[in-house]
Amino acid sequence: MAGFLQQVVVGLGAGAIYASLALALVLIYQFTGIVNFAQGELAMFSTYIAWQCVAAGLPFWLALVITLVVSFAGGMLIERVIIRPVEGAPELTLVIVTVGLFVFVNAAAGWIWTFLIKDFPNPFPDGALSAAGVSVSFSTLGVLAVVALVMGLLYVLFQYTRIGLGMRAVASNPESARLVGIRVGRTLALGWGLAATVGAVSGVLVAPLLFLEPNMMGGVLIYAFAAATLGGFDSPLGAVVGGLIVGVAETLAGAYVDVIGSDLKVGVPLAIILGVLLFRPQGLFGRAVVERS
Amino acid sequence: MTLIVEDLVAGYGDARVLHGVRLTVGDGEICAILGPNGAGKTTLLRALSGMVKVRGRIALDGAELAGRPPDALARQGVAHVPEGRGTFMPLTVEENLRLGAYVRRDRASVEEDLERVHTYFPVLRTRLKQAAGSLSGGEQQMLAIGRALMLRPRLLLLDEPSLGLAPLVTRELFRIVQAVNAEERTTVVVVEQNAHLALGIAQQAHVLETGRIVLSGTAERIRADEQVAQSYLGYRV
Repeated sequence: MAGFLQQVVVGLGAGAIYASLALALVLIYQFTGIVNFAQGELAMFSTYIAWQCVAAGLPFWLALVITLVVSFAGGMLIERVIIRPVEGAPELTLVIVTVGLFVFVNAAAGWIWTFLIKDFPNPFPDGALSAAGVSVSFSTLGVLAVVALVMGLLYVLFQYTRIGLGMRAVASNPESARLVGIRVGRTLALGWGLAATVGAVSGVLVAPLLFLEPNMMGGVLIYAFAAATLGGFDSPLGAVVGGLIVGVAETLAGAYVDVIGSDLKVGVPLAIILGVLLFRPQGLFGRAVVERS
Repeated sequence: MTLIVEDLVAGYGDARVLHGVRLTVGDGEICAILGPNGAGKTTLLRALSGMVKVRGRIALDGAELAGRPPDALARQGVAHVPEGRGTFMPLTVEENLRLGAYVRRDRASVEEDLERVHTYFPVLRTRLKQAAGSLSGGEQQMLAIGRALMLRPRLLLLDEPSLGLAPLVTRELFRIVQAVNAEERTTVVVVEQNAHLALGIAQQAHVLETGRIVLSGTAERIRADEQVAQSYLGYRV
């Protein structure tokens, strides 16, 4: 039993990371209807910025703040320069644009920082809490706490602030939002900035567990897609719950299903994506699009 | 607020819909726009709220509005209740109403106006925390007008408020529009298929056909016009 709980804890730690990237995906999807395939790469690039700051001798937390601010600005800039011109274009165009962005950011990171792996400092202390034979590392606790904090901040932003209300209005009906006086373009850019910032958090959380290199987020992105699909692409809460479920499912499958082991674990998110699309395409918390008119 | 429109040309891409519309709506007046489907009635309203590209002149009490984007016009006090009502479906009724006052900074009077909208539309008060998408068509139309009123508009644009509603509900809506107009002196431009109702509350009316105004006058005069009676009212004078 303790062994099982131990696996669940490990799964939650991994799941929290998937959740944070899924949250970024959902933010952009809600505002622009775009599935941003480059989200992971943007997160990776942000992580390099943090690494660069630390390498330059800045304390970790200052480096983090700089990274979040730069990521926010970068996200807004990408919306303005790359996404705005294709606004309203067919889905395939949008997919290709974000895939192009993926390749570009990946190559740019490799060009600037090379493809050699780099050690990324872990902001959380070593060691673990133990109870009833289950040990939870401070690292896992830290990751869970950070994701909970991000989720909480987003909730407050969307539910209790004027800007948040405006953002939800744009997500629900851009034309009507424009008519009540919301600057929709600015709001979309804000959404991309926010998503890039949340993505940066997930990159910084992943990097100490893996190694920092340009392809670091590739796997994580697949899990994040599974999380967002499971939770519902239009539900931030769903993204987080979906992320945790995917993390736990993957860990348990790896530990208890012999044929899967650690090599085939990546099959788990794919199976989840397929299953959800077949049986509940709107996801757990997503809205099936049925409305009275 | 006096609205003056001169030589207004508007359309979508290369397709021109309005070919030089000219009209004046006096301060605190209700102006009805009648006309067949495809005449450009909706486009005229969309032009007035900045949602389509225009050439020509649109002046609201001397301020030039042509060519400005919708969000800037909302700040100028132009409230547009669009075709299809523009409901923010997943948001609550209260959030929908508050969004109407998005550009306003005077918080205290926003609360007053929320109260005022509830007195006009008591049914909305009982649904405040409900998702707006779950309202009936008539309730959504009330919500849309309530949302527009939250702006404290100087110019209120209504696009087919009767569309899809039961006759009783429609009459109630028009009664409220009339009351709002009387109490707040809001200038109103209403596009409406139901010519009877529109002429019933309007002081003046214009008939739009294929992008041009073919007939203008007081509501009584338009009502008495034989051509209009045959085309839009369904009887001969």
